[in-house]
Amino acid sequence: MATTTSRRETLLRLLSPVIGFFAAIVILLVIVVAVGEGPGAAIRAILRITFGNPSRTATVLSQAIPLYIAGVAVAFAFQAGVFNIGVEGQYFVGGFVAALVGIYLKLPPIIHIPLVVIAAMIGGALWAAVPALLKVGRGVHEVITTIMFNSIAIYLMNFLVNRPFNGLEVGESLEPQTKAIAETALFGRLNGFFQALGWKIGDHVYLDYSLIVALMVGVVVWIVIYKLRFGFEVRSIGEAIDVSRYAGMRVKRVQVSAFLISGGIAGLIGLQEIFAIRGFYTYQIAGGLGFDGIAIALIGLNNPLGIVFSALLFSFLRQAGYGLQLYTSVPNSVSYVITGLMIIIIVVTNELVVRYVRNLRKREVA
Amino acid sequence: MDVFFEFVVRGLVISSPIAFASLGGVFSEKCGIINIALEGIMLVTTFAIVWGALSTGSFLGGLLFAIIAGVVMAGIHAVVTITFKVDQIVSGVAINLLAVGVGRFLSQNIYGQETQSPFNTFVPPEFLGINIMAWILIPVTALVWFVLFKTKFGLRLRSVGENPEAADTLGINVILMQYSGVLLSGVMCALAATVLFPSQWVTGMTGGRGYIALAAMIFGRWHPVGAVAASLLFGYADTFRVMFERQIPIPAQFVQMLPYVLAVVVLALFVGRAYGPAAVGKPYRKGGE
Repeated sequence: MATTTSRRETLLRLLSPVIGFFAAIVILLVIVVAVGEGPGAAIRAILRITFGNPSRTATVLSQAIPLYIAGVAVAFAFQAGVFNIGVEGQYFVGGFVAALVGIYLKLPPIIHIPLVVIAAMIGGALWAAVPALLKVGRGVHEVITTIMFNSIAIYLMNFLVNRPFNGLEVGESLEPQTKAIAETALFGRLNGFFQALGWKIGDHVYLDYSLIVALMVGVVVWIVIYKLRFGFEVRSIGEAIDVSRYAGMRVKRVQVSAFLISGGIAGLIGLQEIFAIRGFYTYQIAGGLGFDGIAIALIGLNNPLGIVFSALLFSFLRQAGYGLQLYTSVPNSVSYVITGLMIIIIVVTNELVVRYVRNLRKREVA
Repeated sequence: MDVFFEFVVRGLVISSPIAFASLGGVFSEKCGIINIALEGIMLVTTFAIVWGALSTGSFLGGLLFAIIAGVVMAGIHAVVTITFKVDQIVSGVAINLLAVGVGRFLSQNIYGQETQSPFNTFVPPEFLGINIMAWILIPVTALVWFVLFKTKFGLRLRSVGENPEAADTLGINVILMQYSGVLLSGVMCALAATVLFPSQWVTGMTGGRGYIALAAMIFGRWHPVGAVAASLLFGYADTFRVMFERQIPIPAQFVQMLPYVLAVVVLALFVGRAYGPAAVGKPYRKGGE
């Protein structure tokens, strides 16, 4: 009897992201109608931009790569009961450190590229270190310190790119940027591989080495969280910090480690844009991915496998927003509204599920 | 003397959005609800004040719109965290995301441009050369202190944040008190919008002031006067930057990050674990519900 309840609980918990997604779509259509468009036209616009041809579908996959890494970064901290809102700053710093390695070292690609990846992780972890130590050492809540560190990171990068590492010759483009990254460190594309498999994607789509990085992150994090002793400690601290403390776990040490690992993963988020798309570093790389990562982690239930789906879903919604803007009069900003509402619906549904299961348990006992 | 006077009054204008928001934080956290949605709520009230003023042709119309917007946004946080008992930080993050979209969506539909509104001339009157709402901060701070510490309502609000079980046993309506605290934080965000820049709405114009306000509230030890004093510290640090940036021989970016660095340093040096309301962040489940 108890097993059926817990099985039903797992099932219901898996349902809440699904409910959240469909509720989000319904709300989207309501907004579309309110703006004065037909729902049919909106759905056609969304399908056209996402599944219109293989390249568009591949674009959804391409844009899901940084979103996936962001989701896993936030999720790792969440698993240990740490709220890492600093992912944003961590990937700005991680990307910068990686770019330095990419610009100034001269190595064969087989060594250079892995070194870039390691440098990105070190940069991200370093930027997470101060908030992590302040949390366990002084009891300062990580939410506020990481948000402050996000702003500090952006000003610091602004300074570094404008002054000491400015790579612009006089009269070149106005966008401040570093020197070009060495050929040996650039991320090549895997488009040829997919084309050979029969997926007719265009050459302009970025399915580059960062896809491999993302896959490796996913696999390694899954093993660490679900198969290693450290991962067991992380999860038990995330679920019941006091119980874990009584059980003799070194809570502070585990939380700091999880925070640093989360920051290290976060450092990888910008690699696609810096090493595959731009070929140089600037503080104007796409922002906001850290906050998207929070939503993605929640929707993916903090599981690296679940996050595959939530990152693709997120990328789909973003593209859908562009599609609506392109083909109808619905503004792109609607995708932010939908994202916010979707998180709220998912967490509320999850709470209702928990209550429902609790009531079932009570009835069982009675 | 002129520069000094300018520093004092401009500092007051720059500080008061942070100060009003930090009072909002005090109302919310005193009743036990963490409110990192202050940033998002403010983002929507800054749009609503311009929208209201332009559509009614009066500053008071703008204020009314802003208060409604603040209460609605704070209301979402209240329903999600108090009625559904969802993690308060998750709810705050979601509302901050939502708010970015709401402002841009409304602006696109009302003014046909996504990132800024037209100019608004129906702004609060000036007093001694600055927006009168900056001076209003002083009586409002006194009023918040009075309400929290000298009225029955304030006592009940605080007791709910310290020990909801005991408050409930004494017949205090915990849920009602928590709703009041969170909704009042929405009203405070509306007041913040009256000083931030009521002449125009620009996307992202709050620029992290909601978070700075939270840091100020913690530094001010959850006390309204302390929170406002800490907000003034942040605000005047920023004013110093605005007025003397060019004379300072260090790179501008380091001067610009000053308020954020200051916030981290202040939190690291002066904050222990024990100052906040005891039950803050924990949803109240009646009878272990």
